[in-house]
Amino acid sequence: MRRGPRTVERYGYLIAAVSVVAATALFSPGRAHFAKGQWALLYLLVVGLVAGISGVRPAMAAAVLSFFAWNYYFLPPYGTLRVADPRDWLSLVVFLVVGVAIGVQTGKLRDREAEAKARGHEAELLNRFSARLVSDISVDEMAKQLVAEVAEITGAGSTALFLCSDSSEPPRCVASRGTDCARSSAVAELVTWAREQAKAIGLPAVPRGIQPQTDGWPVTASHREAGIGAGRRDMYLPLQTATRQFGVLYVGEREDGSAHTFHEARLAVALAYQASVLLERTQLRSVEVQADALREADRLKSTLLSAVSHELKTPLASLEATFTNLLEQDTPLDESSVRPELQAVKQDLDRLNRSIDSLLDLSRLEASAWGPQLDWHELGDIVGAALSELPEPERTRVSAALPPELPAIHVDFGQWARALEHLLRNALAYSGSGSPVRVGASSTPTEVRLWVEDQGPGVALDERERVFAKFYRGSSAAAVSSGTGLGLAITREIIRFHGGRIWVEDVTPHGARFVISIPREPSAKD
Amino acid sequence: MGAPKRPATILVVDDEPQIRRALKSILSTRGYKAIFASDGSQGLALTMDQNPDLVVLDLAMPGMGGLDVCRELRTWYTAPILVLSVRGSDADKITALDMGADDYVTKPFSAGELLARVRALLRRASGQATPCPVITAGELEVDIAQRRVRRAGEEIELTRIEFEILACLAQNADCVVTSKMVLEKVWGPEYGEDTQTLRVHISHLRRKIEPHPSLPRYILTEPGVGFRFCTS
Repeated sequence: MRRGPRTVERYGYLIAAVSVVAATALFSPGRAHFAKGQWALLYLLVVGLVAGISGVRPAMAAAVLSFFAWNYYFLPPYGTLRVADPRDWLSLVVFLVVGVAIGVQTGKLRDREAEAKARGHEAELLNRFSARLVSDISVDEMAKQLVAEVAEITGAGSTALFLCSDSSEPPRCVASRGTDCARSSAVAELVTWAREQAKAIGLPAVPRGIQPQTDGWPVTASHREAGIGAGRRDMYLPLQTATRQFGVLYVGEREDGSAHTFHEARLAVALAYQASVLLERTQLRSVEVQADALREADRLKSTLLSAVSHELKTPLASLEATFTNLLEQDTPLDESSVRPELQAVKQDLDRLNRSIDSLLDLSRLEASAWGPQLDWHELGDIVGAALSELPEPERTRVSAALPPELPAIHVDFGQWARALEHLLRNALAYSGSGSPVRVGASSTPTEVRLWVEDQGPGVALDERERVFAKFYRGSSAAAVSSGTGLGLAITREIIRFHGGRIWVEDVTPHGARFVISIPREPSAKD
Repeated sequence: MGAPKRPATILVVDDEPQIRRALKSILSTRGYKAIFASDGSQGLALTMDQNPDLVVLDLAMPGMGGLDVCRELRTWYTAPILVLSVRGSDADKITALDMGADDYVTKPFSAGELLARVRALLRRASGQATPCPVITAGELEVDIAQRRVRRAGEEIELTRIEFEILACLAQNADCVVTSKMVLEKVWGPEYGEDTQTLRVHISHLRRKIEPHPSLPRYILTEPGVGFRFCTS
């Protein structure tokens, strides 16, 4: 298909000549059997055929050749160009006129059909390429397909795509095909020029009758500029959109050494446009992703700041108020009034200590500086250690019921006690004061499960993942004033670190159950 | 010492139990009757129910925040509101004052600081009907009625504007007065933004009444908020 039209174009006149000669050779044995004028009709048939195959000009040539052949072989005296009967002159002139007319008409039809076919093919190629672009391919993949596609369309011996990551760098070859053009310094120089000037080099002249702007021809084309483009057989097409530049598409000269036609060049330009759109989209998306990440980091930073300032400052404010009160002249300092003050001080110090621990835990987790000390431990010991960290009145709300044959687990004791303590404090804080909190466990041949359940309002479905996020405080947190919003995040990190999972589920009739599951075979990350 | 005959009722609205506990201890030792609310809506309900003489209001509360409570209270409640804020949230503080809060204490605060504010606010509230004609601060005497100012018995010449500013501050002795309040009182409501002019006049005023103008003891600057006339 690609080869067809071009071959026919080049050999059109040859086809015309061969057809006429062959027809004459075929006709001449029958010269005696037909009237001399009837041969003219057969020659017209030949002209029509040539027009259909090779177009207008070869058809006209065929008409002229036929004119002579008919005269020479079929009009008496035979074998000369002289004409005996003067009426035959009239026939000859009529023949020539009709032949040329048929050639032109048929040729035009044929040219139009060929043009339509070529446009259809272009549209198909463009469609195919854009379909690939929307299927979300990577830039590398797109570059490979672009150079392959352009090489096929244009018949270029070599094609290459040069992209620049930022405007200060020279364009770098990301994909190439055919002879190694990427290393040629002449190519590199012109690629740089095309990018800096944002102008194409080596585009063929626009044929008459075509409106370049409306046909997607690059308005910035300037192949004659600076003497660079004159007489070139290769093309340099900048990849750019209204606001950005991405690089240059290099299209080498055709394998057969001829220059690129307008239609080939236009197709290559169209593909370059589409590639630019993909590149712009990719860039915009990466900018967007970066902005998202920055926003998230910003949000975390400000939540960290407010959590830290709240969690550290509140106990400090309380301590300051209590101590300055004790220091005031008119404050009675007998035992019965000082003791409750000191108990309050102890509570504030505990809270301060916990907040600082949480923050340190978090930064250690984030810096992956845990240094776990893994060993085999009984779950009951861990539960006991976590319970002993709870303040006295709260502890009585917790009941633990562990089955007797629980296997030991291979974990860091301190971390697990801390994780469990976070779960317990969470359950105590988020369920009504006085309502019980239960700790339970079970085991299967592959895993051990440990859970903490409360009779609070439970965790809404859409919050079940988010409650584990840093600084996320559940929607019912308004009722619970203290808390860094770090406890569950820290717990999840600890559990993950040990190769386990943690999730939250509903308890009937109401309440939340936080379940930790850990495989029985140790699989802690190193 | 400042406890009145009938104990003043003070409502504390704060979500932190430890702060409430500390305030209870501080206030009840001084003979005030302290009542407590742990969130904004409870605070509003208690104010309506008990009509306290003063409300101590924490700005940073989950749910209904202190600013909302303040706005709501000021639609009908006229007694003083003392705001508790954390350092660094000047904007909230100023908004609260603009909304009608009377003064603020920054957390962490000392018991003495809080008590001084409470006393000043209660004193001002009780004397609102008949403003004291002469305000004394150390050696300084501000005679509002006769428009005279004396330091250690010696007359000080002030311009009209300077006297108006001083009178405005002194009538709110020991309470913060925002720049906006001074500007509106002295120049009129349309001059509320011109803090630069005010600063210039304050500095002139300080040169006349302060023993050490660069280290003021009577007119203290509350950064970002306004000024405080200090009597102690």
